[in-house]
Amino acid sequence: MLEIRNLTKIYEDGTLAVDDVSFTVPDGEFLVVIGLSGSGKSTLLRCINRLIDPTEGEIIWNGIDLAKLEGDELRHARRKIGMVFQHFNLVDRSSVLTNILTGRLGYSKTWPTMLHRFPIEDREKAWQTLERLGIEDQAHKLARELSGGQQQRVGIARALMQDPELMLADEPVASLDPVLAHSILQHLEDLNQEDGLTIICSLHYLDLVQRYSTSVIGLKAGKLVYQGSKKDIRNMTDDEFKTIYGEEAIRISDTSLEGSLGEVVEQ
Amino acid sequence: MKSKKSQIYKEASTLPSIVPPWLAAVLSAIVPGLGQALARAVQRGLVIFFSFISIIGLLVWRFKDAAPRDEGVVDIVRKAFRLEPIFVLISILFVIFYIWIIIDAYQMAKIAGKPDKRKPIVVMVLLILVFFVIGWQIGQIDLYAFVTKFGDALPAISRVLWPWERAITYPEETWMGTAGLETPCDDTPPPPTEPLEDKPYLIVDPTCGTPSEQIDQEDGTIEVMPGTKLHVEGYNFTPEKEVEIWWKDPAISQFRHREGGDILRVIPDENGYFEEEITWPYRLIPDSYLEGGANWELQGRQVTTIGDWEFSAELKMAIEKMIETIFIGMMATFFGIILALPFSFLAARNLMRANAFTLGIYYLVRGVLNIIRSIEPLIWAIIAIIIVGLGPFAGILALVVHSIAALGKLYSEAIESIDSGPIEAVTATGANWLQTIMYGVIPQIIPPFVSFTIYRWDINIRMSTVIGLVGGGGIGYLLTQWIRMLDYSAAGIAVWFIAITVALLDYISAEIRERFI
Repeated sequence: MLEIRNLTKIYEDGTLAVDDVSFTVPDGEFLVVIGLSGSGKSTLLRCINRLIDPTEGEIIWNGIDLAKLEGDELRHARRKIGMVFQHFNLVDRSSVLTNILTGRLGYSKTWPTMLHRFPIEDREKAWQTLERLGIEDQAHKLARELSGGQQQRVGIARALMQDPELMLADEPVASLDPVLAHSILQHLEDLNQEDGLTIICSLHYLDLVQRYSTSVIGLKAGKLVYQGSKKDIRNMTDDEFKTIYGEEAIRISDTSLEGSLGEVVEQ
Repeated sequence: MKSKKSQIYKEASTLPSIVPPWLAAVLSAIVPGLGQALARAVQRGLVIFFSFISIIGLLVWRFKDAAPRDEGVVDIVRKAFRLEPIFVLISILFVIFYIWIIIDAYQMAKIAGKPDKRKPIVVMVLLILVFFVIGWQIGQIDLYAFVTKFGDALPAISRVLWPWERAITYPEETWMGTAGLETPCDDTPPPPTEPLEDKPYLIVDPTCGTPSEQIDQEDGTIEVMPGTKLHVEGYNFTPEKEVEIWWKDPAISQFRHREGGDILRVIPDENGYFEEEITWPYRLIPDSYLEGGANWELQGRQVTTIGDWEFSAELKMAIEKMIETIFIGMMATFFGIILALPFSFLAARNLMRANAFTLGIYYLVRGVLNIIRSIEPLIWAIIAIIIVGLGPFAGILALVVHSIAALGKLYSEAIESIDSGPIEAVTATGANWLQTIMYGVIPQIIPPFVSFTIYRWDINIRMSTVIGLVGGGGIGYLLTQWIRMLDYSAAGIAVWFIAITVALLDYISAEIRERFI
């Protein structure tokens, strides 16, 4: 179970990115974070695995406050938290296999990895993961030679190599077209349902939120403005929608088009 | 700032002239530009004044340069006009410019305060023309000479363009027949030469005599005593191939025989036989050699090629020096990389902006690299030669210094432009600092580093050919030597090698770099 208590992040330039946010994520949840660009979604996710150090607050995960960890303890905690990024953040000029094996770095001894040596079990695990995501024939290509959807699958595979208990996904489908977006989210859903992985995912498209989430939180200007279950989000009212996305936001609803049921357009 | 300036300009131009037009013209005739300035066109006046002053300065210098030994303005000008007619053109343009200044002052004073402005396009063209013609004179540009003397240079140029006859040689052997002679004649002159089988020999008649001599008379005149006339017959020489007649005197110095001032060359007939009348030449040896009889030798020398062609010494030298050049470039690049790497991290803003101290180091390193880079490798080579002397090491040093600066800048820019995304992702997996550098940073900087390094290697090899010109070793050194010896064919070989190597390298480095970017 992950419990965020009074989390606040103020950047050096004085920007208040996350403002006193508290919420709880039970294990096995598929939590979706919604909100406008700049509402603090990315900062919130990065505070959890401490890519960004929070200014105040506690992040209690399995009884440990992640916000207070340093050095090796922090790295050991990070190993159990996978992360998927909007722009995939693969090393373009390394092979797919190397990119995926990167996920094992936290578990490996430093010096062998300097020579790109990984234990045989790790390599086997890498192939299994590649197969699971259906990209085993891309293993020896360079990451940059892959299409966007394939790159994101490599991103997921890298996170899976960590044997994560928690998966953070920072707008994982924002750089992909709707069909690919579904395929990537289905992979995440599989992990959630079959492996019981807790997933915290920020999303923009409301139809995707309605389709995949088990619970939802909404951020606006760093503040938590909405909290609801899957059922709540299906019955979300326009007023609630506007609290999150602002007065100017309109809701496009076109039930005839699968894959783009609802979309937020900023005007 | 700018708007304020234009405001002042506007204010000034709306005011009427301080002086009447005629006075402005007179003042500009005395001090060019003063009239314009007083007519409230201060900028225009300043431009005119400084243009005028600089033209006057240049003209005084050039006229004195053209007629250095003359005194007085009139003499100097007359002589300069006669020696270099281009001065007439310069003077005419200058006078036109001067007259224009006076007219312009008058008109500027007249229109001052009125909205219409005169744009000085014509005079700008005139001014540029004046400087252009002066530049032509200073540069000693002589298109006539370029065209007419081009023909004289053609043989040399054609040898540079196609030097390959010089690339091969045929080994030569000197085929020699001799006959002995004695001076002065005594009771037992040497016997005539014994005929030989298969080998050339000479038979001289008589076998003794006296060399030509000049005797100083008491009245100061010189009496010439021609030497003994000799009838020379040659046998067994290679038919139809030129034979040179040489002498070996008692001091064993050897010299060509000259008959009437020209070197004597004879062509044997189809049997290898020739005959020739020659006069015993002057002696260069002191009298003491003649006492008690001295032996001379007459030689018939025939140079023949034997065997197959082989590569010439020049070609071998060019190849050796070309290889040396490539290695100079390689070693310079190698040391350049090693030394540039630490600097590149210090000169990367994204790594150094953490605090004021590191930022200070950043600016310092950047500044030093920029200064080093702005000094030509040729200058560094001259400095290096002072320290370590002529040779490849000086060239390497010069290129290393320049490479550090150039690579340091390129590397640091590559570091500055890396994507933070992969670093973030690797950090998120729980990797430690070293692993993050190895997996997040290095894969990103290796391709540009390799690319820049190969590019630098390419440049260094091209530059090492130039650095050789000042004595930094390699093929450039050879090239200057051959050019100074007027051996244009050999120089042509060097030029060809440089061209081929540079072209090949260009291609190879482009190919390799393409794979890395």
